[in-house]
Amino acid sequence: MSMSKKYWKGLPELNNSPEFQEQSKNEFAESLPMDEFLSSDDAEKSGTSRRDFLKVMGFSTAAVALAACETPVIKSIPYLVKPEEVTPGVANFYATTFYDGHDYAAILVKTREGRPIKIEGNDLKGMAHSGTNARVQASVLGLYDGARLRGPLVKGKDATWKAADDAVAAALSGGAIRILTSTIISPSTKAVIAEFIAKYPNTEHVTYDAISYNALAKANKNVWGKSVVSSYDFSKAKIVVGIACDFLGNWISGEEFSKQYAKNRKVSKENPEMSQHFHFESTLSLTGANADYRYAVKPSELGKVTAALYNEVAAGTSNAKVSADEKIENADAVKAIKKAAAKLIENKGKSLVVSGINDEGIQTLVNGINKMLDNYDKTVDVVNHLNLKQSDDKEFAELISEMASGKVNVLMTYNCNPVYTAPAELKFAEAITKVPTVVSFSQVQDETAKYATVVCPDNHYLESWGDANPRRGWFTLQQPTINPIFAQPRHEGTRQFQQSILKWSGAKTDYLTYLQGYWNNSVFPNQGKFGDFATFWANALHDGAVKTYIHKDVVIAPMAKDSTGKIVMTGSANVVAPLFDSTGTEIPEVEIAKVATAEPLPTPDYNKAASMATSVKGSGLELFVYEKIGLGNGNYSNNPWLMELPDPISKVTWDNYVTMNPIDVKKLGFHEMLRQDIDGSVAELTVNGVTIKVPVYPQPGQAVGSIGLAMGYGRNLSNLKVANGVGVNAFGFLTIINETIQPINTKVSIKTTSETHRFAATQIQHTIMGREEFILREVSLKEFAAKDKNYWNAPVEIEVHGKGKTHVNEVDLWAAHPRPGHKWAMSIDLNLCFGCGACVVACTSENNVAVVGKTEVSKSRDMHWLRIDRYYSSDMNTRKGKEENVGYKETYIEMENPSANPQVTFQPMMCQHCNHAPCETVCPVLATSHSTEGLNMMVYNRCIGTRYCANNCPFKVRRFNWFNYNGNEWFKDVNPAQQELGRMVLNPDVVVRSRGVMEKCSMCTQKLQAGKLVAKKSGMPLVDGSVKTACQAACSTDAIIFGDLNDTESQIAKHRADERSYFLLEDVGVKPTISYKVKVRNQEEPMKFEKTASAKHEGKKEEKHS
Amino acid sequence: MKNLIPRFSAKALITIILTLFAFTTQIFGQDGAKLFKAKCATCHSSHTEKKITGPGLKGIFDRAPKGDWLHKWIINAEKVIKSGDQYANKIFKENGSVMTVFEGDLTDKDVDAILAFVKGPAPVDPSAQPDPPTGDGAVASAEKGMSIEPLYLTLGVIVILLILIGAFRSVRTTMQNATNRSEGKPENPDITFAQEVKQWMAGHRRFVGVCLLIIGFMGMKSCWDACYDIGVYYDWKTKKGYKPEQPIKFSHKLHAADNEIACQYCHSSVEKSRHAGIPSVNICMNCHKGIQSGPQYKEKEIAKIYEAAGFDPKTSTYDKTKESPLAWIKVHNLPDHVYFNHSQHVVVGQIKCETCHGDVKAMTVAEQKNPLTMKWCIECHRQTEVAMAGNAYYDRLHKALKEKYAGQYDVKFTVEKIGGLECGKCHY
Repeated sequence: MSMSKKYWKGLPELNNSPEFQEQSKNEFAESLPMDEFLSSDDAEKSGTSRRDFLKVMGFSTAAVALAACETPVIKSIPYLVKPEEVTPGVANFYATTFYDGHDYAAILVKTREGRPIKIEGNDLKGMAHSGTNARVQASVLGLYDGARLRGPLVKGKDATWKAADDAVAAALSGGAIRILTSTIISPSTKAVIAEFIAKYPNTEHVTYDAISYNALAKANKNVWGKSVVSSYDFSKAKIVVGIACDFLGNWISGEEFSKQYAKNRKVSKENPEMSQHFHFESTLSLTGANADYRYAVKPSELGKVTAALYNEVAAGTSNAKVSADEKIENADAVKAIKKAAAKLIENKGKSLVVSGINDEGIQTLVNGINKMLDNYDKTVDVVNHLNLKQSDDKEFAELISEMASGKVNVLMTYNCNPVYTAPAELKFAEAITKVPTVVSFSQVQDETAKYATVVCPDNHYLESWGDANPRRGWFTLQQPTINPIFAQPRHEGTRQFQQSILKWSGAKTDYLTYLQGYWNNSVFPNQGKFGDFATFWANALHDGAVKTYIHKDVVIAPMAKDSTGKIVMTGSANVVAPLFDSTGTEIPEVEIAKVATAEPLPTPDYNKAASMATSVKGSGLELFVYEKIGLGNGNYSNNPWLMELPDPISKVTWDNYVTMNPIDVKKLGFHEMLRQDIDGSVAELTVNGVTIKVPVYPQPGQAVGSIGLAMGYGRNLSNLKVANGVGVNAFGFLTIINETIQPINTKVSIKTTSETHRFAATQIQHTIMGREEFILREVSLKEFAAKDKNYWNAPVEIEVHGKGKTHVNEVDLWAAHPRPGHKWAMSIDLNLCFGCGACVVACTSENNVAVVGKTEVSKSRDMHWLRIDRYYSSDMNTRKGKEENVGYKETYIEMENPSANPQVTFQPMMCQHCNHAPCETVCPVLATSHSTEGLNMMVYNRCIGTRYCANNCPFKVRRFNWFNYNGNEWFKDVNPAQQELGRMVLNPDVVVRSRGVMEKCSMCTQKLQAGKLVAKKSGMPLVDGSVKTACQAACSTDAIIFGDLNDTESQIAKHRADERSYFLLEDVGVKPTISYKVKVRNQEEPMKFEKTASAKHEGKKEEKHS
Repeated sequence: MKNLIPRFSAKALITIILTLFAFTTQIFGQDGAKLFKAKCATCHSSHTEKKITGPGLKGIFDRAPKGDWLHKWIINAEKVIKSGDQYANKIFKENGSVMTVFEGDLTDKDVDAILAFVKGPAPVDPSAQPDPPTGDGAVASAEKGMSIEPLYLTLGVIVILLILIGAFRSVRTTMQNATNRSEGKPENPDITFAQEVKQWMAGHRRFVGVCLLIIGFMGMKSCWDACYDIGVYYDWKTKKGYKPEQPIKFSHKLHAADNEIACQYCHSSVEKSRHAGIPSVNICMNCHKGIQSGPQYKEKEIAKIYEAAGFDPKTSTYDKTKESPLAWIKVHNLPDHVYFNHSQHVVVGQIKCETCHGDVKAMTVAEQKNPLTMKWCIECHRQTEVAMAGNAYYDRLHKALKEKYAGQYDVKFTVEKIGGLECGKCHY
């Protein structure tokens, strides 16, 4: 057949102009200025002949070659006086507290040679907040942030501490002083502020959180008479209803709640029961993605959902209904409310309703529902309440109007950045210019610090002393794990906030002594475990946490001092009773002051609450401002690990964008299908009259008629090298409704533009494309309980001549490889993985994984060893396609499109350490090979970069170093390993890879080797659980279990034997080392996919649910 | 003659006994010196009045109360002070610190020995004697004197051969010309040697080609081999390694051999960590606060420690502001892409320091004694048996290996057998 098609090189060829014809004869499209160059006299004058040139070239090549041969002289500089606890090469762990005004976590900090390099959760027995999220994991990098201030600034110029103190002292002498902070959960810090207020009585302390939870306290005030945030226990809830509440991700204490929630999701054949979770929200959140039933409703309807649920529950429990507008567009959601209410009533006292909307009305109704359901003291607790999230939005608004009217003389801002985060309608940036003296304690020169007269940079939390009282009765200590990095004599240095305040209030003690005094007087008497303070303090520092015997709200007042200014230590251990009896069992604590002692409870007005809840009038397009898992409130937007962490839902890195349902995307004319080579559209978004340009990302699950936009981006500060210019700032679009800051905005319009935007997403295919059986097995709880394993987790069998159906693993070309010592293996429970991404950051931190930046990620060159694949369900499948005669090709095209409100599954994916690894057989230089312990080893120095292995990997988990990320100046702003400071975070036990080599998950082999060595040295067998991979340690739900399969008693051996266990792509015969556990959804409907591939192998189309 | 033998034996016996006796007394005296060095020298100078932490002991027998006071004091000074002894309390006040209690540590005999040493004459300063040449140097120079370098030998042979060829050639030309002349033929044209070689090569093309190929291959092979030695500070033939000059002329021989200080005293993390550890300056100061002069370089080298520690030997005080860290030059270097753990080898593998580091006790300057290349690591891993017996960690593995190799005799469970040659065990 002759060529009928003609391809043009471009439009000029098509037009075939004479110029083009002339030019096409030349080799180069544009003529090179050769004549010009050769005819120039300069060339002759310069006297550099070709011979000279070659000589110089030859010499320099030889010199370079010779220089490369020489090994450099390596110097070893020992300590002058070695600290007793430091052994070079051995890591030390310190228990401390992470708190940044937003997230709280009790942590262990791994330090090497005095440098903190890794954060782990504090796994002390009974610890509530032992999990870490991605932000906590990444916080260690913040310590080495080059943007941190090295000393105080006065009027924007570097100054000495004396000058800064003098400037502040001069300003404090007259007028009103306001201290604006985010929530402080450190009782001693509050006492320090009280000292300051005692010295300067015209001071007021205002609490403001960028992401406010004020309504929770207001609702508790309405219903229980206490302005506190309740604590929750999801582990006791059989039915959970969430209303725009991301409690598995960002809401209050996500990692604590996911740990509790996971307890009810651990399902097995012996115990086929799990909690059921209904979720109503506008933007697909992590929690919504994990719900059993999720319904998309517009932001303005969230209050109506709450009111409707209240009325259904009230009807079922014979309580008074409220009158409210209950009109909801989504008919499924209306039905679901009825169903959820019925289930809730059925599980009275074992259920929980939560809402994440910061609206007094909604939260009061939610309290009412929980009260009607008798959930208080069971799943919700206002007595042993949380101390997190104490912001008062009304006070904050009042402060701004005070500032604007010039009544405030001194404003101090600590741990908050209101110029960046305050809602635009409050006009904070305008008001701050009216304050004569602004003192900021920011660690970096941020938006607020730019307005500050004096900036007194605070220490990083890893350099600070402190304490925290996150929940009544729980105290944790914060201790420095490194000396302040910026200190004399090289820098003027940073100083802790508390130290500055103590100094200005004229106290003669340092903060550590003050802290000890406070603990002696207020914590020590309530503990009852230790008789003397010194032992108590030493133990508290060691454990990092104290659970008091007597639960009391902490005392906040200036402390008594003697004539010399010393704190009077009055604490005595008056109740000495052990928390644990002689057998080690915990004795329940005495709970003093149960709620409702004598005070009468207030009578809440639920009708008023309902009208507040439904006060938002809907509009054609509504905006929901949401918080991302990575950046949170933007505190850490200069952290490259978090910037490169793919959003668990959209899988986009380095960006925020408008999330819009694909239906709306189509309707409004934006680019629909997003692949890496198809750019997104840029829209003109107008909110409250302000227009910005922002890209649009088609997000299934977004309520139709609404859009979402993430906070924490849009920092336009040149000193924040990582965050600068990434995304847009959505904080300004927050609104004040019912006196609280809310994420809902209805004054929105959107317009198309001709511009496009390149997204850097790590996953561009959204659905599983009918390969459920081999990759993603799920089953409904009903089927799981009723039917046997062969139905929902069928073995992969193939027809073998003469043998009949045989399990695929028995058909093998290769002999089995013996694993005489350890046989490492991992099990990942898809039921427990909520996709939070803490493991991804932990892996990055542990294994020195390079940050590559947006451009490279957009070329699919991300380096994460561990990724979390997110799959949406599709409305189409092959069976449906056939039944409805859609057509073969069209069926598959349709299957690529997710449902408008899809079911979501998360699947952590790393090297599967295949026992018959396809990568190993194709490596020409044996750079990747298998160990006798079952690991697929990767030897960087042997790798020559052919990339055959990555090509041959069925899981696509191998990562290639396209550049020397640690040296190439393209990456100098994003890659911490390139900065003098950032480099300190690198794990010295893991090689930093260079250009041209392949890398992948090593199963934290450095940790395995270290764990084995400990066992060998002690002459004991390796204890199960003593070796944990970084991802496993970071997982707060225990979704990842790792261990030695040869140890028959091990956890992993039990998990592997579980009926839910299966392997990915088992039919390929690669025999992976990592197994997954079938996801079980608590739904009545059977799962909507068919068994395809086995049928194919069997040669007949047998169609049933797998 | 018959009598001679027993008489001789008797004489010999007496001599032996006497010699032995002499030795025993000397051992006794030496014991005192050694004990003093180990227990007392950190705080006391034995034969001067110099104060270190405690007073110098010159004239102690005149100063101190007579009888067994010294004995009691040395064994348990605290007790003596508490008993209200006047002199003891005076000493305590003067010096401001209580002497270490040696009860249970030193026996009465030890104390006697120490006192005998202090009473006896000041020890001869070993540095007064000339420093004996080190073993290595001596052997090397002896070898040099006796052998001729093979390279020079070859060169000599080549030169002789060239001279011979030249001589023969001129003889041949002269002879041929003479024959030609006598036969009436014209003389051979006077061609140069190079031209003649060229002619010869043109006539033997195949031979020359093969030779060139062989030479070419040999050249390439030696280049290839040379590549293996890039960055290896070790000469396989002479077995000599990297031996940089250190900022302080520290002698392992003096410390580890002469003074018998255990390796772990200074390299204290060798059993705990991947690094053996270069001792911090405070470890040096443990002894050198007292020992202020060395045998060879006297105060000069030790003064460098004081400079680093900010220590003033005259006043025995430290000045934090004058501290300046020491930068030793690392002798045993491994590339960054290999993970080596000392504690693994020393504690679990029970490998002696000398196995890899050579006879450090004989080194005045630390020197690399093994190539530290991967080949060298692997050779050892192939041969060394794992100490599995008595280590419960290995029980399961040991059992599995025994099953695997059942029926085969002479099987050694070497490091290789348990996966010690796998890449990922050292490279990650």
